[in-house]
Amino acid sequence: MSRSETSASPRRRWGWRTVDIVVASVLAAAFGVLFAAWNNLVYPTISAPLASSPAAPLIAGVWLMPAVVGGLVVRKPGAALFTEVVASTISMFFGSAWGLAVFMSGVWQGLGAELVFALLFYRRWGFVPAILAGAGAGLAMGLYEATVSSIAPYAWDWKVVYVLCAVATGTVVAGVLGYVLVRALARTGALAPFAAGRTQGEI
Amino acid sequence: MTLLQTSLTVNTAAPLARRDALVKLGAALVPALALLGSVDPVSAGIVLTAAVLSVPAWGVRWSGLLRRAWPLALAVVMVTAGNAVFTDRKGGAELIDAGPVLITTDSVAIGLAAGVRIAAIALPGVLAVLTIDPVDLADSLVRHLKVPARFAYGSLAAFRLAPIMAAEWDVLGRARRARGFGGDRNPVTAVQVFAGRVFALLVGAVRRGTALAVAMDARGFDASATRTSARYRPIDRGDVAMLAGSFVLTAVAVTLAVVTGAWNPVISSG
Repeated sequence: MSRSETSASPRRRWGWRTVDIVVASVLAAAFGVLFAAWNNLVYPTISAPLASSPAAPLIAGVWLMPAVVGGLVVRKPGAALFTEVVASTISMFFGSAWGLAVFMSGVWQGLGAELVFALLFYRRWGFVPAILAGAGAGLAMGLYEATVSSIAPYAWDWKVVYVLCAVATGTVVAGVLGYVLVRALARTGALAPFAAGRTQGEI
Repeated sequence: MTLLQTSLTVNTAAPLARRDALVKLGAALVPALALLGSVDPVSAGIVLTAAVLSVPAWGVRWSGLLRRAWPLALAVVMVTAGNAVFTDRKGGAELIDAGPVLITTDSVAIGLAAGVRIAAIALPGVLAVLTIDPVDLADSLVRHLKVPARFAYGSLAAFRLAPIMAAEWDVLGRARRARGFGGDRNPVTAVQVFAGRVFALLVGAVRRGTALAVAMDARGFDASATRTSARYRPIDRGDVAMLAGSFVLTAVAVTLAVVTGAWNPVISSG
């Protein structure tokens, strides 16, 4: 965490600047475009053999990335949830066949990551918090699917397998890849207006 | 490869397409939330039938809807098959018994119910989204749900960048192709090239977003003075009627499911 952030007043530290809102939204829009491709081309074709099994969440990790990336870049309360919800909403507008199911999943997945960042008092943004947030988003996705959504009639043991797969994909794809992505973005200098972009010298 | 399916002709004067953006989303959300509570063919079937029957009233053409919603049909098949195999309701006559895979009439029934339910949850939302202009949605969110204007219009601005990003995605692909990257048959190389392309897209997006934020601030986007709105669309009687209709439909579907004994709450259905 950079010094300029710790010394700022609580309002500056937790209030959203315009650049926070816009860049979180733009990241969400980029992921929304990616989701649209994923929802309409990749997921129904490549994933078809997997999609009807408890291993299905293994390819769903892409959907969890905006929560972790948004949280790590913006570092404000609500950033993970906001980015995930906006990404899911935008993908909904660009030709999702899933309708509001996408939005509802986005809310739960965003909340899963948000809760982890909140439990760390919005003070820790390193590798371990990133994979915990990814796992949180994965857990939320798995629990949501297993209790009320698409796999509600599964037997209990298969539900456990499903949720564990969801947590694994959240940890690896959203957590590890999300962290690597934010580090790489910081190295390009694109994140200069953010604390995430200024910490690169300390690494 | 075109990423975004934006071209779809919708008759915006159709009775349901005319409604307020939030009202349409709300009307689609009410039955979806109710259906999340149970996996049964009765409630899901009623909602799905009503949604299909309402398609002409949304001003959406059947051909356009099919073009947009075909992945949903595939998903319904997958959800049906998955639930038929992995449920623990294995009563009834055996249909297929191949080692660990046991499919019976009961498991096919629950699988079909799960598939129809997913379609019934998704279709009203697809119809609503097809007929919503994002500008109207942002206006309605600020006006009727009191969402902070900075967040609503900030994300609307980003939404407007999405088609530019899709065009940029094509350009990035061509630029890479011109330099001899991409078009590989080797999946490892293909993934590497794809990852580089996604990363370039994200860097461009963040840079554009940062510049956009400065431009918006320069025009007083962050100002705390009272904000006025150029467009105002009040909630009218038609909107109220649509919401009421959605509630009535949901109530009828749930009641019929409970009365016929089909209601099958998800929490105890495992």
